[in-house]
Amino acid sequence: MARRPSTASVARRTIVTPVLLSVLLVIFALAAWAAGSRPFNQTVIDIFLQVIFVVGLYTFIGNSGVISFGHVAFACLGGYVAAWTTIKPMMKSSAMPGLPDWLMQMEIPFWAAAIAGAGFAAFWALVFGAVLMRLSGIAASIATFAMLAMVNSIYSNWDSVTAATSSVVGIPIVRTVWPYLVAAVLSVFAAWAFSISRHGLALRAARDEPTAAAASGVDIPRVRLVAFVLSGAIMGAGGALYAHSIGLVTPDTFYLGLTFTTLSMLVVGGMGSLSGAVIGVLILSSLIQILRWLEAGVAIGESSFALPGGVQEIALGVVMILILMFRPAGIMGNSEWTGRLPRFAKPGAPGPDNRSQPTGDQT
Amino acid sequence: MKRLTAILAATTCLATAAFADDERIIVGFATAETGFMQAYDKPAQDAAMIRISEINEAGGLLGKQIEVVNADTKTDRAEGAKAGLSVIDQGADMVVVSCDYDFGAPAALAAESSGLISFFLCAESIKAGIQGVGPNSFSASVLAAVQGATMAEWSYNKKGARTYYRLLDTWTEYNKGICDGFDYMLPKLADAKLVGEDTFLNEDASIAAQITRIKSLPEEPDAIMLCTMMPGAVSAIKQIRAAGINSMILNGSGVDGSYWLSAVPDLSNFFVPVQGSIYGDDPNPEVTAFNAKYKEVTGGDPSTQYVYPGYVMIDVWAKAVERAGTTETSAVVAELEKMNGEPTLFGPRTFTSELHHQNQARYLIVETNAGKPGVVDEWTISEPIPVADLMD
Repeated sequence: MARRPSTASVARRTIVTPVLLSVLLVIFALAAWAAGSRPFNQTVIDIFLQVIFVVGLYTFIGNSGVISFGHVAFACLGGYVAAWTTIKPMMKSSAMPGLPDWLMQMEIPFWAAAIAGAGFAAFWALVFGAVLMRLSGIAASIATFAMLAMVNSIYSNWDSVTAATSSVVGIPIVRTVWPYLVAAVLSVFAAWAFSISRHGLALRAARDEPTAAAASGVDIPRVRLVAFVLSGAIMGAGGALYAHSIGLVTPDTFYLGLTFTTLSMLVVGGMGSLSGAVIGVLILSSLIQILRWLEAGVAIGESSFALPGGVQEIALGVVMILILMFRPAGIMGNSEWTGRLPRFAKPGAPGPDNRSQPTGDQT
Repeated sequence: MKRLTAILAATTCLATAAFADDERIIVGFATAETGFMQAYDKPAQDAAMIRISEINEAGGLLGKQIEVVNADTKTDRAEGAKAGLSVIDQGADMVVVSCDYDFGAPAALAAESSGLISFFLCAESIKAGIQGVGPNSFSASVLAAVQGATMAEWSYNKKGARTYYRLLDTWTEYNKGICDGFDYMLPKLADAKLVGEDTFLNEDASIAAQITRIKSLPEEPDAIMLCTMMPGAVSAIKQIRAAGINSMILNGSGVDGSYWLSAVPDLSNFFVPVQGSIYGDDPNPEVTAFNAKYKEVTGGDPSTQYVYPGYVMIDVWAKAVERAGTTETSAVVAELEKMNGEPTLFGPRTFTSELHHQNQARYLIVETNAGKPGVVDEWTISEPIPVADLMD
């Protein structure tokens, strides 16, 4: 550690990015509030949930460089915690008769369920992670995928506790945008705090130079485990809130579809960057939404214009290919969005923590 | 990024220029226009549109023309919730949701929380209604359990079947529902005997093990209750017949249609319960007339009986609105719940304050003989299946 840097520089390296990202999220929330349209409001809620999921993924993948296909399993764990703890006891007893008595009688508010979901997911992340974090590279990725398949199988077949493949309904629906905004902002701050923490820096060092990091005393499985547990908690909270956003859960909601959507958003945004995670979601979700409006038809003067159904999926694919052609490391690359760079950070521009992170396409 | 947000905000303002209007009656379809559910939703929705245009041609409902608004669920649950909210914002008085309970529920829950009536196009689970959505939700079809119970009772009485084998595909709730109804009915039939039971999965390429167990019975059972659905049903049926088992095969409505029969040439002794016949031999000539109209509108014949519930849905709802003199939810629900054996083109319909679904219904029995399906009989189970038995 060298000289003490100036206050502005410290701020830029620490708090500016999450604040800017939060402001961006607040703008979306205000747009939903100002528009007063319920479907649009629901769309913004969906965007915030995706922000939570992708930030959860970033916390682990971005910092460790290990691609995880299994994080949606934690969202599944969280989603079912919301079902177990918030559905009215009477409805629970017919849908999920195998729940223990204390859980059967429990009826807590949605925010408490989100915290409980985060805790439950974090616990299982600790259990799974203790084993999985010893693996590296592709082996770790495949093992996380196996974890996803395992959780999905259990939740699809444990009839008395998860109602198997049936939808679990009766979860109180929360349709105001604010709780989701708060959760998204909290997850952004949590992810940021972790990535500038001692463990976060050590983990990124291990990502870029595992041998050197280990030689410098970084216990790689341990720092990975910390990231895994934190990201599991974020995913768990996201899963619980997802359940509250539509009022039901099924195991297949939290499976391959969601895994690939969230992973592709992270890849497009930039895997090594928190700003990338958030901005990737915002850009892709906005694009999806605009294309859907065009599919539904837009009146231009006298005539109306509509894209044929299915164009949205194709156009989204094309845009993603183009982004990755011209910015292979994603929109943000490995850089963060700070006050100094109001538009997109150029690859090679000084990031907030370039001490431990060489810029470029390292992930 | 700011510019994007501005565009987004501007587009939203354009998109929300819809207001609820008392001068109009609006039916909102939050159904799948894309994705795999479209194959189920579209035909039933077409049938619903036929009933709507009939009503409009006859002068409308309460003197007003029925208008329709749509939103696509994209066969996705989260999109389903948005589609539900979207048609509600466009002023829907009644919300029609996807055929399947899992995919229709998010939109139905949105309608329920806005105090509106929701109708599942053709869901056959008891949850599609009061039990899984709330007191303002209905289904236009008949419970899967009724299909299993109908086949058991009919085959016992009309075909003299006494020994049954139960083969369940555990893939979906629908399949389990058929077998639940069969299980409910069988003990009520004196000296009917279950000689064996087995399960398989829709995606199983081979059910050789299950077939071996049927073959090793001392005597071939009179009937096999096959609780399955497409696409796995075809392979299961083919394998059963290829193994030389000639017992009658009893099914749910899910295997109705002739589109797959070429895969099992000369299939015989095969029975399916249907709400109406797509084969042009319905005892009610009006059904055949409806089929012709459907062909005129959509360019093709109905491919399965799942077209019909869409028609029934608009029919019973419009009658209830007419009787209530308003589209106001509680009044219409009260009128719907008064319906007891209400005649429709496809058999009588009953709704009660306990069940917004059919736990007893008239079914036509379609027999496939030498690869040719046709109506041979009709049957209504002797008593409704109690709600308590449906809930477990």
